[in-house]
Amino acid sequence: MVGLGFQFDLFVRILPELLRGASITIQLTAFSVAIGTLIGLFMGMARISRYKIFHIPSTLYVEVIRGTPLLVQIMIVYYGLPSLGLNLNQFTSGILALSINSGAYIAEIFKAGIKSIKKGQTEASMSLGLNYMQTMRYVILPQATRNILPALGNEFIALLKDSSLVSVIAISELLRRGMIVYSRTYDAWTPLLGVGLIYLCITIPLSRAVNYIEKRWEIHD
Amino acid sequence: MIKNNLVKRQKSKKLENTSNGNVMIKMTHVKKSFGDLVVLKDINLEIKKGEVLVVLGPSGSGKSTLIRCINRLEKIDEGEIILEGTNIYSQDMDIHKLRTKVGMVFQQFNLFPHMRVIDNVTLSPIKVKKVSIDTAKQEAMELLKKVGLGDKYNSYPHELSGGQQQRVAIARALAMNPDVMLFDEVTSALDPELVKGVLETMKELAKMGMTMIVVTHEMGFAKEVADRVIFMDEGYIVEENEPKELFENPQNPRTQAFISKIL
Ligand SMILES: Nc1ncnc2c1ncn2[C@@H]1O[C@H](COP(=O)(O)OP(=O)(O)OP(=O)(O)O)[C@@H](O)[C@H]1O
Ligand SMILES: [Mg+2]
Repeated sequence: MVGLGFQFDLFVRILPELLRGASITIQLTAFSVAIGTLIGLFMGMARISRYKIFHIPSTLYVEVIRGTPLLVQIMIVYYGLPSLGLNLNQFTSGILALSINSGAYIAEIFKAGIKSIKKGQTEASMSLGLNYMQTMRYVILPQATRNILPALGNEFIALLKDSSLVSVIAISELLRRGMIVYSRTYDAWTPLLGVGLIYLCITIPLSRAVNYIEKRWEIHD
Repeated sequence: MIKNNLVKRQKSKKLENTSNGNVMIKMTHVKKSFGDLVVLKDINLEIKKGEVLVVLGPSGSGKSTLIRCINRLEKIDEGEIILEGTNIYSQDMDIHKLRTKVGMVFQQFNLFPHMRVIDNVTLSPIKVKKVSIDTAKQEAMELLKKVGLGDKYNSYPHELSGGQQQRVAIARALAMNPDVMLFDEVTSALDPELVKGVLETMKELAKMGMTMIVVTHEMGFAKEVADRVIFMDEGYIVEENEPKELFENPQNPRTQAFISKIL
């Protein structure tokens, strides 16, 4: 039955299926942001290094990733890597592409976060005999991380939405589940609106939480 | 007054004992530039163990740069800096060890805002000197008591006044058990009523025989505590003398002009 309006009963029927997709979406995002944060931490530190062997490759990485579409990156990982003899399943490919992508954005977040800490902190730490890594670990990063937590939260939200792109490599995340329902029922309206609705149910509370953290910390500084 | 005279007497005795060759720091022909700007032009300076040296000079004359070279926060271009007999640029000088011998206190305190007072003070002993946590904490508490903040060990820096923060910063530097302390205009950022407490702490330190290099415009402190004052201008030490002489009877016209301005 082809409906033009939103069919609530259909929505209720497909909801479990969509929620399973949402669960995949959240997993994809969580893994990717976690890996992306690790990549971003090291790349961000490399970005501000005065040593060329760190600075140049990290800058190249950030420029290339931010200068090309995520969709292209996903396709390169999934369709391109096998020609190099590297066969990854869809889920792994998706996580790899999303991690590498978010890593570049998170690198810039870390870079800005580290730079936001006053020079006096590094100097005080150095004057106490701490070496570069100790200074980073005990003095700079704890402060920087706190400053960038809202930005990391926003990156999580952005990646959660962007992860819908991996539907093109047939990962049954939220959008793809909606599309499957569409092809089965010939009703595009209900499943796709439902998909949008579920995205909103995740992103709105998240961005509220980010705002809350931001506000609370403003008061404390 | 009586107390002050006592300080003086003890100090001069101490200096006599150490006058023959007991050198803490020796700088010879030190030069330092930032790009085209030559900041230290030819610095020759010797500081004895237990000596308190006050560094005076107009803004931009190179006072901060001079003391920052001593713990290698700045790298010199030419010349030599010998700390307790070792060239600080020699191969076998471990820079992190060097820095634990040289305590530094900054104008802006630079406490670590995310750490409690006690953790600020124990960071270097634990991480650099590998002292056990218990010992480090015990020693830190002693130091905090000494600077009058025994009850603030559990506070965060932002919960303290500027003067208290600066005294924590002094305790933090002392926790490394340094041989020299460098002070870079440590009271300039403080409200006038908070200056006294910090100066008192520094006087105590001088009394205990700490070798100190103090960049300050606090004439009272210089007169009372310093063994020697140097006046810097445009990258040179243009005059040096005992505080009383230098303040009351400056020889160099630039020193004269500067002294008349700040008195
Ligand atoms: N990292 C740096 N890069 C470039 N120039 C610098 C740097 N640090 C200091 N300078 C310059 O070197 C000169 C001496 O600076 P320094 O901080 O040693 O002066 P100062 O005597 O401590 O002055 P003040 O009383 O204002 O603290 C100044 O002209 C300053 O602008
Ligand atoms: Mg200065």
